[in-house]
Amino acid sequence: MVKSSIVNAVLDEALRTGGDFSELYLQDTESNTMTMIDGKVENANYKRQVGAGVRVLKGTRSAYAYSADTSEAALLACARAAASALKGEKEFEAKSICIDRIGKSFAKIPFSEIDNAKRIELMRKATNAAKAHSGEVTQVVANYSDFDHRTWVYNSEGVHAEDRRPRVRTAVQAVAMANGEAQTGTCSPGYGMGFEAYNEKIDIEEVGREAAKTAVTMLHAPECPAGTVPVVIDGGFGGVILHEACVHGLEATSVGRGNSVFCGKLGQQIASPIVNAVDDGTLPGEWGTMHFDDEGNPSQCNRLIENGILKTYLVDILGSRLMNHPITGSGRRQDYTFAPTSRMTNTFFAPGNDDEEEMLRTMGEGLFAAKMGGGSVNPLTGEFNFAVSEGYWVRDGRILCPVRGATLIGKGAEVLMKIDRIGRKMWMAPGMCGSLSGSIPTNVGQPRIRVSEIVVGGKGGAL
Amino acid sequence: MTFEQFKDECFKLALEKGCENAEVCSMATDGFSVNVLKGELSKYSIESTNGFNLRVIYGGKSGYAYTEVFEDAESLVDHAIDNAKAIENTDENPMQGACEYPEIEKKPNPVVDMSEDEKIELALNLEKDTLAFDDRVNRTAHCSIDTGVSRIHIHNTLGLKADTEETYSSAVIGAILRQGEDEHSSYAFKFGPEITDYQDIIKESVDNALMQFNAKTVDSGEYRILLRNDAAGDLLQAFCSMFFAGSVQKGLSLLAGKLGEQIASPMITIIDDPFEKDNPRKFDAEGVPSVVTNVVENGVLKSYLYNLKTALKDGVASTSNAGRAGAAAPVETAPSNFYIVKGEKSFNELVAQLDHGLIITELSGLHAGLNPVSGDFSLIAKGLLVDNGTILRSVDQITAAGNFLAMMKDIIGVGSDIKFGFPGFGRVGSPSLLIEKLVISGK
Repeated sequence: MVKSSIVNAVLDEALRTGGDFSELYLQDTESNTMTMIDGKVENANYKRQVGAGVRVLKGTRSAYAYSADTSEAALLACARAAASALKGEKEFEAKSICIDRIGKSFAKIPFSEIDNAKRIELMRKATNAAKAHSGEVTQVVANYSDFDHRTWVYNSEGVHAEDRRPRVRTAVQAVAMANGEAQTGTCSPGYGMGFEAYNEKIDIEEVGREAAKTAVTMLHAPECPAGTVPVVIDGGFGGVILHEACVHGLEATSVGRGNSVFCGKLGQQIASPIVNAVDDGTLPGEWGTMHFDDEGNPSQCNRLIENGILKTYLVDILGSRLMNHPITGSGRRQDYTFAPTSRMTNTFFAPGNDDEEEMLRTMGEGLFAAKMGGGSVNPLTGEFNFAVSEGYWVRDGRILCPVRGATLIGKGAEVLMKIDRIGRKMWMAPGMCGSLSGSIPTNVGQPRIRVSEIVVGGKGGAL
Repeated sequence: MTFEQFKDECFKLALEKGCENAEVCSMATDGFSVNVLKGELSKYSIESTNGFNLRVIYGGKSGYAYTEVFEDAESLVDHAIDNAKAIENTDENPMQGACEYPEIEKKPNPVVDMSEDEKIELALNLEKDTLAFDDRVNRTAHCSIDTGVSRIHIHNTLGLKADTEETYSSAVIGAILRQGEDEHSSYAFKFGPEITDYQDIIKESVDNALMQFNAKTVDSGEYRILLRNDAAGDLLQAFCSMFFAGSVQKGLSLLAGKLGEQIASPMITIIDDPFEKDNPRKFDAEGVPSVVTNVVENGVLKSYLYNLKTALKDGVASTSNAGRAGAAAPVETAPSNFYIVKGEKSFNELVAQLDHGLIITELSGLHAGLNPVSGDFSLIAKGLLVDNGTILRSVDQITAAGNFLAMMKDIIGVGSDIKFGFPGFGRVGSPSLLIEKLVISGK
């Protein structure tokens, strides 16, 4: 994207004031997004975002400057701006590029070959399927998006890494209304692929039906009772519990500053012995996958927890300096307006040996969380929360009725120890994760699991 | 190419290719932000962005294309026309013509003109003073100063020329307090010219972190609740899309058909005020001159929030609430300064009135645990247990659940302590609210 002589001049200029590491990041992203409401296309957008950022490190100090202008003059200005944070004399020269890492696009059908009519057809199919599910579905909103995200990373240690990450997602929200009450259901699959995802992975009509089914089920559900009970969390997006309750606390952003309940716990039992957890950025075609991270390091499969024992943190370049820990290919950022930091990719509980039906049958009275919404965590204390978008109350090991409005809360370190069942079949679901370096695509996943007790928030009384 | 050249070329091409109208919204921002940790710079960032968002009206439909590269106007115009052709919604797409804007009084912001070294010094002092504020402050989780200037231009082929330059400055501090093995943190922020006078946010951060020690859960059940101003503002912000005419027209708001009806306690008045003294603006994201809107008066719903398109559909005037969630986003609806008007009672008087119940000081997970369509929420909360009008102890690991509209009717006290949240896609404020009941889940 930029001539190598310019790259070298920029990296070297950035080291002028005593930095020991410099990095140039360039980005060019094209995206198409469309919204269909009630069967009519409401919005269509095209966006091209182009820009560059220069980062300088000296020890654990970091400076970053970015610009939407990628001309030679602007890149050198960024380098000077970043360097101006340090006040020393030049100590290091930038090496010439000697390591090339090129990640080829996973897309079989690039988005440039797709016209709007194809995009509209998908949303129409999803909308019609949702409406056909039930007369109580009063409104359907479908959001289509595709991204072709291209990155170039160069650093003063001679690394040049290029990556191209296509991704597609269609999110369908169905609204069911009756008697002045409204409930919603969503289904939003996404993959790190080209448009072929709609042939190979996504049954778009099923997406519409799933969203409608949740909305209608919740419309006829009583409010979830409040209290502390056993909870079975189904696979797929249920893995948000791992994402929030644990892995945010394994990121160098919190561990490197001593702000996580999991600090100093490497090699220790942090979860029940049946728990194995993985963050794997290499899985082909997945939502959180990349060839090289946004610091130019190869993405890898990180086995976070083995048999309940903490094996590794998620560490970027700056984090490795703060923690004296190997880099794990976890440096990520939303776009050039953010400096990179340690983030997740595809994060999941590995499959276990337990029977999916048995864990419901033997749970007594509690909640079956069939579909989860989003959540958040305070890594310092490990206090997490997330929403249950489709829940069922269980009594005597049998499903009694659907329940709405449930939230699960707890402390990560405690809940990991209380996992007493892990099922055999694992699957993943996509989400957008927000943190210091912006909003990035991450997958969460798990088989069906059971937690022996957890605080369930809701506004209902006894059922 | 400069903005003017690129704009002229886009407009010329758009009209040649058969567009009825074309509009550009451009936002150029130059910013500087610095974070410090343990007396050293931990992040230093110089920011420069320049976005160009083209909207064309073609065949009565509106299509968008955005770029940050000021070249190839033809491809941008073609993308926008393609997107206009895709629209099936038959709503009309009005644009604002040439107009006059009210003069607004803006406080000068000397912080933006400070040198980088002075801003770094300010951040270092903020951290130093936080560490010195109380023996129990162990370190900071976050300490930053963020400043900048944004230049916004909304121009169109109807002769609209809305230009403005806005400065911004903010300070954020998060103190971590330690007692024994326990650690707690809390963030506080300030924005505008007064950030150099930061003692109040240090106190706020430290007080709120201290409040969390020795917390325990409570029994599950219904409690009378005093929702502190910041938590009340967060909740109002999360539900404010209910008041957007666009949500109503699309069947995504429970306020449909409720104009003129009592939707809240008579103690509640809600105003959208673009002229509010700490965050005034001349026009909205469509260049419509600012007007004040009375949304709820004494509990009665008086108006939704409109942009040009949703206003035309309802046959009313825009309430100057067009908003864009960033330079690249299409025109939607956003509040300006949207707030519940303050009442008479001090916070301590409300605690006395609460008598027996919970003060909620913090609600989290608002992006997940609530549904703006149904109005339902179930959120992790922190707070204080109150008996006989006296604070007994801290409470954590609970959830507070209810329905936003039911809660608005259940309000029995409004404080005089209005507080606004961080300005972003709109700025929302509330005083503390005394609520007859919410359901608390604990043990």
